[in-house]
Amino acid sequence: MNGFLAVWRKELTGYFLSPAAYIVTIFFLIVMGAIFSLLVSVLAEGPAGVTVMNLLFGSPFFWMTMLALVPALTMRLFAEEKRSGTIETLMTAPVTDTAVVLAKFAGALSFYAFMWTPTLIYLFILRYFSADMAPPDPGPLAGGYLGALLIGMFYLSIGLFCSALTSNQIVAAITTFAAMLLLFLAGLLDYVARGDLVQAVSAHLSSYSHMLEFSRGAIDSRPVVYYLSGTALMLFATVKIVEARNWK
Amino acid sequence: MIEVSHLTKHYPGRVAVDDVSFAVSPGEIVGFLGPNGAGKSTTMRILAGYLPATGGVVRVADHDVAEEPIEVRRRIGYLPENCPLYGEMRVDEYLRFRARLKGVPRAKVPARIVEVKERCGIADVGNRIIGQLSKGYRQRVGLAETLVHDPDLLILDEPTIGLDPNQIRLVRGLIAELAERHTILLSTHILSEVEMTCKRVLIIHKGRIVASDTPDRLRRRMTGEASVIAEIAGPRGEVEPALRGISGVADVQAEGGDAWVRYMLRAPRDEDPRPAIAALAAQRGWPLRELHREAATLEDIFVNLTQTDEAEAQP
Ligand SMILES: Nc1ncnc2c1ncn2[C@@H]1O[C@H](COP(=O)(O)OP(=O)(O)OP(=O)(O)O)[C@@H](O)[C@H]1O
Ligand SMILES: [Mg+2]
Repeated sequence: MNGFLAVWRKELTGYFLSPAAYIVTIFFLIVMGAIFSLLVSVLAEGPAGVTVMNLLFGSPFFWMTMLALVPALTMRLFAEEKRSGTIETLMTAPVTDTAVVLAKFAGALSFYAFMWTPTLIYLFILRYFSADMAPPDPGPLAGGYLGALLIGMFYLSIGLFCSALTSNQIVAAITTFAAMLLLFLAGLLDYVARGDLVQAVSAHLSSYSHMLEFSRGAIDSRPVVYYLSGTALMLFATVKIVEARNWK
Repeated sequence: MIEVSHLTKHYPGRVAVDDVSFAVSPGEIVGFLGPNGAGKSTTMRILAGYLPATGGVVRVADHDVAEEPIEVRRRIGYLPENCPLYGEMRVDEYLRFRARLKGVPRAKVPARIVEVKERCGIADVGNRIIGQLSKGYRQRVGLAETLVHDPDLLILDEPTIGLDPNQIRLVRGLIAELAERHTILLSTHILSEVEMTCKRVLIIHKGRIVASDTPDRLRRRMTGEASVIAEIAGPRGEVEPALRGISGVADVQAEGGDAWVRYMLRAPRDEDPRPAIAALAAQRGWPLRELHREAATLEDIFVNLTQTDEAEAQP
């Protein structure tokens, strides 16, 4: 447990000290801010058939940011340790490989969660300045943030896995991006494909429609299970890769 | 402290360590010597619990490395080849991280950090960023890190590589000090380093242990003959046969200029021809300005043991 906490803390402080993480955070907040201001103008035109959260998470800008942000957060995690050789000191400390993998994942997830917190301020502002407008319901609000957390977990675990495959950060980032894009596009097949099977599978994978559901306040257990088990699977695979030590 | 029996490590298509057995008792300082690619780092990585062995048993402090890796790692301070560190961290921050990672109780961490920095001579760079330190300082940060949880055993893979001669001396001195409190296994391919710091040498070549002894005894074992050097001014044609005539002298080679000629003689170790040479020179009136016996260096031994199929050693 000491080992887990030590690695988690190091990873988290690492993000706060790394310029890349700052750039990504600022980029993320600008995009989210832009979506919000867009939102305000939409809402100003009178009640539409959408909720605030729905607009927020349904926006393509949000998804593009997600796809860029996750690789930036995860590419360094193992690849950099391998490139610099510190993986050897890390894995010969009295901690299990599983603890190291979980700690790195927890570090990335904590920073990801931290990045989201300023968006709460946007909501607050929205509410404060548009007194005549109904505040966001707690259901969609909680659902939206839960969805962002679940999807973030899954994508970050994919990034962690890709980072464990190589000693090159750029390669790690590109593989992560490609894997996420593939998953995301597979989800969009639902809207374009014909066959029933394809559509059914696609609907299960579609983060986009999951997010729309979540941000309507409708929390279905199937996507929750999908993201949790997907994350567990990726973390398990990462532990196996790290245990194999077949890099160089 | 270390018991290795029949250790084997295969990489795909290559045997890096081949049926190696040795033991290191508590308090010893043992040098692990071998040419490039001999399998030193591989063996050390297995000892430290980084790589799994293909076959054989490794026990450290009475714990099996494969079965109780965490127990073993608690007792080892391991400095990998090239001393990898997190370049973006500060020295204190790094040592704190490593101390916590290695299970040093939170309350003791500051005291431990002060102590190891003191011992490694880096007390004044605690606030510096590691990536901006000189190589010698980084090496000392690496050493300080290995000590931070006060392990019984230190495994140091080429701790002085890439340092200038002054830094090498400092780091060696540091290792000699550490030897008072820790068991040490250090690898190197610098022979003088082993002669200076180690009580025992293990020579490994192509994945096999080819010798294990004190530097002294190795030297003696390898050299049945000693060579004697004499510089004499005298007619070469007369001096050479006269030297050959001395009892015990097996071979004489002459070399050098007009007046002074340098003679290299081979003689059995237990017979010392030097008094006879001095007497001869005095009797004939040949000036003699140098007379000494040369012991074989560890280098001779090393070359002797490891030069076979040099081409194959590094594929
Ligand atoms: N990850 C690896 N995959 C395949 N072969 C390897 C790997 N690591 C080392 N080897 C091979 O194993 C052999 C032993 O290597 P090792 O690094 O243990 O040698 P060494 O004695 O430490 O050499 P040096 O003095 O150069 O550090 C070499 O032939 C090397 O090429
Ligand atoms: Mg080596």
